[in-house]
Amino acid sequence: MDQSLEHSFVKQLEEHQNVVHKICRLYTRNQDAHNDLFQEITIQLWKAYPKFRGDAKFSTWMYRVALNTAITLYRKSKKGVATQEFEGVSFKIASEKYDDTVEQQLKLMYTAVKDLNDIDKALVFLYLEDKSYREISETMGISEVNARVKMNRIKEKLRKILNP
Amino acid sequence: MDQLELLKQQWQAREQELPKLSFDEIYPMILKKSSSVVKWILIASVIEIAIWIGLNFIMPESSKTINQGMGLSRVFTLVNVIHYTIFAGFIYLFYRNYQAINSTDTIKELMRKILKTRRTVRYFVYYNIGTSILILIAVNIYYYFNKELLYELMKSTFTDGFAELDMATFTSVFFVSQIVVGILFIAFIAFIYYLVYGLMLRRLKRNYVELKKMEV
Repeated sequence: MDQSLEHSFVKQLEEHQNVVHKICRLYTRNQDAHNDLFQEITIQLWKAYPKFRGDAKFSTWMYRVALNTAITLYRKSKKGVATQEFEGVSFKIASEKYDDTVEQQLKLMYTAVKDLNDIDKALVFLYLEDKSYREISETMGISEVNARVKMNRIKEKLRKILNP
Repeated sequence: MDQLELLKQQWQAREQELPKLSFDEIYPMILKKSSSVVKWILIASVIEIAIWIGLNFIMPESSKTINQGMGLSRVFTLVNVIHYTIFAGFIYLFYRNYQAINSTDTIKELMRKILKTRRTVRYFVYYNIGTSILILIAVNIYYYFNKELLYELMKSTFTDGFAELDMATFTSVFFVSQIVVGILFIAFIAFIYYLVYGLMLRRLKRNYVELKKMEV
């Protein structure tokens, strides 16, 4: 593999690494597993990179490979024991009127999303990333209508978990 | 406000809390080896195929002599030719399915392709277990109807063990041990297979079912 390709790939991944980190946070339960998954996603992205033609945005193309790795390709390591400090991803609101209950609600919501099954989680992730239903359906491989219906069901499910 | 909307609102705003790796930290990662499930499936499948092909070669000399004496060598040659042609077909299908696996597919398509690749290997194993059972049954039925000849042959091949056995004892010992060994062998293969296959694909299958449910 030639050096300029390596260079441009790493440069782009460095720029868009947030997407990968967010997926790792959702799909793993401790820092070791997070790093492991990040590593595997990087390898898969690099392997697929020669086929990346640049006709799609790098980040859009990344979603697919990264989610595929998290859901299907990645073999969960034995190190996957939940550690408490990592679970409590801090959700401090930067606004003036810092509200403890809002913070609490965010934490609860995030935990509820993490507890969803792998597929539902992918859908919610794309939704949180503000992807259109068309993009969601193209990434998941289901129809737009089905994506919309399913998303509404998940919202309902989450609402019930948080407001029993 | 809805909590999910609240989370969405905060989602992008909190990116600064995420880890930030430098170019020099990311670069070594692309040089590492993948340990993806596809790689393990490939390894397991190649081992399975190799074991089954290998099993065909480790038939002991003595049983070849007996088959020859029983007039079965021609039939066995024919069976082997058919067998290996089918093997080649399976290997070709497996290779084609494996090549089609692509991490840039949609989530559903990727899972479908991996399961299809595995299914080919599963059919290969079924085919082998099935033909093993069939051949075992057919050969034993043939032996049973020619048990005098078999008895004579066994006596001359294994000079020490069989010489003292009379015809009736020999018949029962021979066929009972054939059946027991056959059942044990198939149970063992099925067990190993269940372990390898079950452990590796449980999560993938569950996710695929989950995604399929969305289509209804």
